[in-house]
Amino acid sequence: MRYKFLSLVPILVFFTVMIIGGPAAATGKTYDRTIENYSVPDVVLVNQDGVKVRLKELMQTNKPVIIDFIFGTCTTICPILSTSFINLQNKLGPDSQKIHLVSITIDPEHDSPRVMKEYLKRYRAKPGWDFLTGSRADIDKVMSAFDAYVPNKMSHLPLTLIHSPEDGKWIRIFGLMGSSEFLSECRKVGI
Amino acid sequence: MNALNRNWHSYHISFAVLFVVVLQLFAWLPNSSGEPLKSSLSTDEKLRLGERMYREGVLPSGEPMQAFVKGDLPVPGTAFTCVSCHLRSGLGSFEGGVYTPATNGVKLYKPLELTYIRFDRPAYTDETLAEAIRGGVDPRGRVFDHVMPRYLLDDEDMAIMIFYLKSLSSEFSPGVSETNLRLATVMTDEVSQKDRDAMFVSLLGIIGSRNQYAKLISRQSVFGKGQLVLMSDDMMNSFGQFISLSPWLLKGPPETWRSQLDEYYRKEPVFALIGGITKGEWKPIHQFSEDNHIPCLFPSTDFPVISRSDWYTLYLSKGYYQEGEAAAHYLNNRGELLKGRPIVQIVRDSREGQALRAGFQETWRDLGQGAPVTLTLKPGEELTKGVVQQLLTKEKPGAVVLWDGPAALLELETLAAVKNRPEMVFVSASYLDKGLWTLKEQVRDFTYITYPFRLPPSPKETINPSDPLLYLKAVTTKEANQMYVISQIFNMAIMDMKRNYYRDNFFDVIGMIADMEVPLYEHISFGPGQRYVSKGCYIVQLSRGEKPELIKKSDWVIR
Repeated sequence: MRYKFLSLVPILVFFTVMIIGGPAAATGKTYDRTIENYSVPDVVLVNQDGVKVRLKELMQTNKPVIIDFIFGTCTTICPILSTSFINLQNKLGPDSQKIHLVSITIDPEHDSPRVMKEYLKRYRAKPGWDFLTGSRADIDKVMSAFDAYVPNKMSHLPLTLIHSPEDGKWIRIFGLMGSSEFLSECRKVGI
Repeated sequence: MNALNRNWHSYHISFAVLFVVVLQLFAWLPNSSGEPLKSSLSTDEKLRLGERMYREGVLPSGEPMQAFVKGDLPVPGTAFTCVSCHLRSGLGSFEGGVYTPATNGVKLYKPLELTYIRFDRPAYTDETLAEAIRGGVDPRGRVFDHVMPRYLLDDEDMAIMIFYLKSLSSEFSPGVSETNLRLATVMTDEVSQKDRDAMFVSLLGIIGSRNQYAKLISRQSVFGKGQLVLMSDDMMNSFGQFISLSPWLLKGPPETWRSQLDEYYRKEPVFALIGGITKGEWKPIHQFSEDNHIPCLFPSTDFPVISRSDWYTLYLSKGYYQEGEAAAHYLNNRGELLKGRPIVQIVRDSREGQALRAGFQETWRDLGQGAPVTLTLKPGEELTKGVVQQLLTKEKPGAVVLWDGPAALLELETLAAVKNRPEMVFVSASYLDKGLWTLKEQVRDFTYITYPFRLPPSPKETINPSDPLLYLKAVTTKEANQMYVISQIFNMAIMDMKRNYYRDNFFDVIGMIADMEVPLYEHISFGPGQRYVSKGCYIVQLSRGEKPELIKKSDWVIR
């Protein structure tokens, strides 16, 4: 069944786009943007240094917090999301300390603190970009809270969530942004 | 977000996917300046440099490759390598809704026609390929999807890259002929004849079933016409060569195994090793696979090689080592009980004891903890009350880890009787073996057990008769359950290779397999470069009573 489904994917994609299209297709944008309210679950995760991090406490900051969901051995979407993070840090220069970038793994079994630390090093991440793992149950809770749940990491979503400290709302970006677009979205939350 | 919005989002992503499918499929490569390579470079050197560019994103000069994605995002090639999307074999991937096409020369230098999306492109040339890599434009002038980086390569580096792509997955790997795919399974002679037979016959069963199925498919006799139409691209193309299996029996001490393996391989090159069994360490066979680039799928061993970079052996788990890791993670989370006190580690000087010790000690160190105080017991040596009392009085540990086999049963009783006993003593379920179920009542409250398998169903648990895994969960052995995993993954991999019989493709397609639940383990998962599919281990305690149950004290994966 799995194989029959895969064989149909390109066809489904083709017809979906050709017949229905969509606002992104019409505007030339490759991502969609909405404003959302999320309730952050009270879970304790672990960062790349092995330090426990209570997610709710992490959010109690006057800095904008930007969250994405990635995993260390992803082959396609995650490298682009992570490249966006590092380029944002580079573009902001000293101002990069005014935001907090948070990548949350969706492969907690493999992504240990050591794996995550090496991942950040590979991307030349600066301080202010943390990578979090946790128990499968807690990671599932976080994904669900942000309407990002996928049952399997191989079908994950290209999401970037930007939290405004001013009104507590989230900009939800579904799709992949260029660096100028990302910076522009960040400006909207006070960067 | 409501369902309608979700659908709109899906369309956006689909649009991106379309670009990948339609544009990248046609393109990816083209052209170079046609500059000749430096004559001073040998073929091997060009391949080595090309491989480094492809896999590591490092130029021949040693500098990182420079690239852009999404139009204006500069990326270092080291973070955005070719291999990360197109994989080692160059045959591409399908992940996160994005389809990445093949980039090996054999595929690129042929015209491509995908009738179901009415797409075609002419064969690439060196010139159009270089143009595609640099500019992101295919021979028809179509622009690639933005997820494909545009690489800044000069003519000489481009020529090396193209030379490498042409060599990539260009000929089927050894062990493959027009009609046959040859495999072997490695067994060692200290394993009983009965266990060797069980391994070999089980594998023959898996392979025989697949061959029979392929034969029936080729005769088009088992499916109706409509189904065959739907299967034409995926399933039908996935049944190719007849698969054969040879037993490679290694005799004598491990230091002689390598020469025996070399001789077997010289006489009979195989595409891959499957299963296999030894009571000892798998290391000599692991190294043989590594040196010859021969994939080895799921050997039955409790002593795998622990490596974060080796490529060619995929293990079911880290064996005993994994239990030591779990104990360290669990203790690290119980800092409030340890209160800064040291850990005492009592280790039987055996292969099992040393593997458990290594897993615990290395993980404990990585977690930033100090070295445990270790007492090693020689084979046959008894742990006396006096020695234990003296050790505990001196060290005042927060916990004891006791890496011993069935002798641990008595040692736990000794610990129960001494003063200053810490609140937690850890033992290994695998090393205790059946002794696990005979722990005396007085030790159960302080004994914590590493248990690297799915927990057995509780007698109180309602049995769902429709559970397809019920039989395997309830009545079969560890070995049979391991064979179930081999069967599932092997059959998926053979099918997913779609007759692209390149060794790297074998593990590439396995790396794309979705996470699974299996009877033996709570969860198994895959990914490029992930080489231990079961990554968890529970910490449990034994309940009181004559018919004890396991009480779960941790998650499957402890963070």
